[in-house]
Amino acid sequence: MSNLISADPARLTPARRRKWLTDDTLTSLSLIVSFVVLCAFFASQTPFFLTQANLSTIASTIAIVGITAIGMTLVLITGGVDISVGSVAALSGVVTSLLWLEHGIPLGVSTVLGILAGALVGLLNGAIVTYLKINPLITTLATFSIIRGLAFVLSEGQTNLLSNEAFNFIGRGTVAGIPFSLLVMLALYLVFGFILRYTAFGRNLYAIGGSPQASRLAGIAVTRHLLIVYIISGLLAAFSGIINVSQLASSAPRAAVGLEFTVITAVVLGGTSLAGGKGTLIGTLIGVIILRTLDNGLVLMQVSSFYQDVARGFVLILAVGFDQIRLKLGQLQRSKGV
Amino acid sequence: MNTRRLSAIALGTVVFALVVTMALRGSAVRVLAQDSACPTAKDSYTIGFANLTEDIVFTQLVREGMVATAEEMGNVNLVLADNRLDGATALANTENFITQGVDAIIHFQTDEAFGNVIMARARAAGIPVFAIDIPMPGATFFGADNYYAGQLAGEALAAWVNENWDGQADAMLVLELPQSGPIPAARMQGMEEAFQNNVETPVADDMVFHLDSKNTQEEAFRVVSDTLPAIDEDAKIVAVTINDGTALGTIAAVEAAGRGDNLMVVGQNADPSGQEEMIKENSRYLGATGYFPENYGAQLLPRVIDVLECRPVPPSIYVEHVFISADNVCDYYPDNWPDFCSQ
Repeated sequence: MSNLISADPARLTPARRRKWLTDDTLTSLSLIVSFVVLCAFFASQTPFFLTQANLSTIASTIAIVGITAIGMTLVLITGGVDISVGSVAALSGVVTSLLWLEHGIPLGVSTVLGILAGALVGLLNGAIVTYLKINPLITTLATFSIIRGLAFVLSEGQTNLLSNEAFNFIGRGTVAGIPFSLLVMLALYLVFGFILRYTAFGRNLYAIGGSPQASRLAGIAVTRHLLIVYIISGLLAAFSGIINVSQLASSAPRAAVGLEFTVITAVVLGGTSLAGGKGTLIGTLIGVIILRTLDNGLVLMQVSSFYQDVARGFVLILAVGFDQIRLKLGQLQRSKGV
Repeated sequence: MNTRRLSAIALGTVVFALVVTMALRGSAVRVLAQDSACPTAKDSYTIGFANLTEDIVFTQLVREGMVATAEEMGNVNLVLADNRLDGATALANTENFITQGVDAIIHFQTDEAFGNVIMARARAAGIPVFAIDIPMPGATFFGADNYYAGQLAGEALAAWVNENWDGQADAMLVLELPQSGPIPAARMQGMEEAFQNNVETPVADDMVFHLDSKNTQEEAFRVVSDTLPAIDEDAKIVAVTINDGTALGTIAAVEAAGRGDNLMVVGQNADPSGQEEMIKENSRYLGATGYFPENYGAQLLPRVIDVLECRPVPPSIYVEHVFISADNVCDYYPDNWPDFCSQ
């Protein structure tokens, strides 16, 4: 997914970076306006939309996509993609439930091991992408299938119930009336937002996404950075899988089917470029909220599920369309600059 | 010439005529004998079984039951395939079965649109076809009596509401699967109508919410979560669901909203995860209609042999349905829950 054509060391200059921030701010503002319009529309259509109960529902069911989207944003910024996140989420739940229910390992330890299983898949993805130089789309498409199959093999296709009060708190609990999973998600956005914006590691990810070759020449350890990014993506997808299991009080190998497409839609909608080198976590967060709000509003309006699918598809096309327009404008600006 | 020569010619003609007549008669007798015997009858049979998918417990149990029954019968060689929930794959499996020279085909395939093509290929090859759960034109149907199966669950839910909630629920969630067409729709219709016809005070039309479960727990969780704000906080809610998985998702969503005490759910299938949920203390899963997929093989394979040995078989064979709940789960699945059943 790396875009060598758009490689331009000038993009790394402070002046250019300031320009990016302006673009990003504009993107975020336009997303906020879209969100407000969407909310106004749903509020005019159904009296239940702007109720506390409904807002609470949205808040408590946003974390799975939201947390996975953090990892996906990092991967997309480097010019890659991770299609395996849904399968990883399913695997982590299956591993956790099997370790606890069948091997008697304490639930806390099982949960950690389930999340680490996701990190391991991330490491595998990163290693294949970096050392074998296989396209990230192909690599993660392969692991998407392998890991889903593994989840079925391990669970023998069975759904396992996990009833444990402490464990269920992860997905269902509240702190001062705020869903615990939402608080965790916001904390992760703060941490990774800080890393992305204020650390060398974060800045290097943009550079790698802009041009891996130029980044290498600039002394950035591209392989190490990509490995870490894919591990983070696997880790966060696995954690989302744990939240999913906690919410449903059961693990199933068919869990999180299609999660990757929802997440990619949200991230691209939030302004992250599929071509790499561009994107922010605040944009991703707004993209996630818009998608969740859209789903929620359509259900409340009792719109046929077939039309809901159509609406989601349109949003994806719009998001990718905007991404392409942004890309073309960027290329135009660069060519004028040269 | 004598009369002697004429007599000899006449006698020869008569003898020839007699021989020809006898020969013709003999062949006719042989033809009649072949017609009355069954041309497809053999000492042993090769039967192709293409399963719906190997990814879900229900169909795994169907396959295991088929294999076990074939082994018990001794004269059946089962050739297995996986339709992977896909019509094109089912067609390819049909072609493979024909190439392998199977005597009969059992298809468990989801795509109605491919039914005609599959049947045309099998008919051209002279192979009888049995369709599990989803009918195909010209195939012998075997499987669920969907509307009746739905009715059983709906009636049980209505009886529970009459007994525990003074015959009145305030809202009804119908977790369905519209993309799969009329077969699951018949189950849902059976559940909804049986509930509304048997409960003392039917739920008002505007409080019946039809939701697309997409056959997954997460989607059931999501759409139920999104619908709850449209239902009063203290409302008593009943839910009828397409299967155990969507029942679990529904229960999880309502419990996560802190409204579990005002919920009662019924479903379909009664697979092990559903059974585990219904035997939990203070469970909100009243029960599910059982389909006994593990018995499909024992009921179906002898009928396939009947057809191959030219014995009459009805065009539709329905499985027996029972509403499984905590009260009778031990009668049907005592080995699944030894602790619960020993109490």
